[in-house]
Amino acid sequence: MFSLREALIGLRRNGVMTFIAIGIMFFSLFLLGAFLWGTFNLFGIIRLAREKVEINAFLRENLPEKQIEELSEKLISMVGVESIEYVSKEEALSKFQEEIKDAPSLIEAVKSNPLPASFSIKLKDGYTSPEEVKEVSEKIKIFDEFITVEYGESWINRLDRVVKILFLFDILLGIVIGFASVFVISNTVRLTVLARKRTIEVMKLVGATEKTIHAPFILAGSIEGGAAGVMSGGLLYLIYQVTSKFFVEFYFPHNFIIIGTIIFGITLGMIGSKLAVKSTSKEMKFETPDF
Amino acid sequence: MIEIRNVSKRFKKGWYALKNVDLSIAKGDFLFLTGQTGSGKTTLLRLIYMDIFPDEGEVAVAGFLSSTIKEEEIPFLRRRIGIIFQDFKLLKDKTIYENVAFSLEVTGQSGRKMREKVMKALTLVGLSHKRNDFPYTLSGGEQQKTAIARALVREPFILLADEPTGNIDPEGSEDIIKILQEVNTAGTAVLMATHGVELARKMGGKFMHLEQGQIVKT
Repeated sequence: MFSLREALIGLRRNGVMTFIAIGIMFFSLFLLGAFLWGTFNLFGIIRLAREKVEINAFLRENLPEKQIEELSEKLISMVGVESIEYVSKEEALSKFQEEIKDAPSLIEAVKSNPLPASFSIKLKDGYTSPEEVKEVSEKIKIFDEFITVEYGESWINRLDRVVKILFLFDILLGIVIGFASVFVISNTVRLTVLARKRTIEVMKLVGATEKTIHAPFILAGSIEGGAAGVMSGGLLYLIYQVTSKFFVEFYFPHNFIIIGTIIFGITLGMIGSKLAVKSTSKEMKFETPDF
Repeated sequence: MIEIRNVSKRFKKGWYALKNVDLSIAKGDFLFLTGQTGSGKTTLLRLIYMDIFPDEGEVAVAGFLSSTIKEEEIPFLRRRIGIIFQDFKLLKDKTIYENVAFSLEVTGQSGRKMREKVMKALTLVGLSHKRNDFPYTLSGGEQQKTAIARALVREPFILLADEPTGNIDPEGSEDIIKILQEVNTAGTAVLMATHGVELARKMGGKFMHLEQGQIVKT
């Protein structure tokens, strides 16, 4: 009770310091939250792109239906295959006609159906890297029923390169922002503790135990961190609301980002103030003008 | 109550702030500790409230020994000693009442009994009417009285005063000494460090003179 009241009085009566501290912490937590949000969306985009990875295996002409059925069973049971879709000659033609419907002369030219039937094979999540796609398609090639097997090799390679670069960049940025926020927040809390050094001195003077000395500062630090966390989580949510209303709907994991920034703020505020008050109190000698 | 036995304290190699000092203070004593700036007065007081420890000899205060006291026991020693300083050490963000009450609150006291104690201490130093003011609105003398009230509210057996009139005009200084004498009459021992030898003589109390870390006159 004493600790909580002391913490609140300290925060209120050192208003400017509290305001600056919360402001700085808010800014760091906001950056961190925005970064996490961006990372989530980046992964979402990568996932979408990877889902587009598929192998097209074209069949020889005039295969009996039974053989195609057996083949489809073999394909679906292959390692790494998520789903398969059979595209008959007719479906291939109508798809093609749909694609070239703006050029009627071309449709005229296609009198008979030159397109082969095929299987579109989608791969499971962990099987979309260039090496694995290649491996699966090599295995498919073994079946005699296919004339050609394609998987857009250059496109997959490019996607893979982009993903790797983005990943690396994201991790580096994450480390920088993570360390920076830990550093900035713990130093800010440290400054608020140092600003109230006199309070620690008086507490020691009148015989407060270390626990009693620490408690109000740790509480105050947690309150500051929590307030900054609520503000940055709130602002991120507001940005999400505005962008999804007027621009695009981003993926926004509420719990993770909002609760995450709040908990991170409280934790850093708590640990930062604990370390600061502990070292300040330990090194404290009474300031006296004489020997 | 306080025994200082053959104590020496070095700050730099070979430089003694105190050398072979013996001193004993009994219940109800009023003792002036005189000497110039740098003569070791403050060092002696710090040894008593165990902010520092002797390099040689031993300090015994209210049953605590400097050689055996544990760090976590120091707060309990401090609760039995009242300390005031030249610079008052008041909390700027607290009222006069809160500054005094703080001393009890940090040791877990609260409620009506605590409020009564605080008001009694403020009345003793004549500041009960300024309880809701902040320290910066008070004169130096009044601030030192607040510090005295804060020290007394825990009913210490001794009051250590380190140059308590150093920042106060002569009139205010007399006031402070008068209060210290009243406190002493009520049974609390007082050890007052001051460079004003004249003041000590005028007041007629016992005094001990320090020169370069050694006691030269008692």
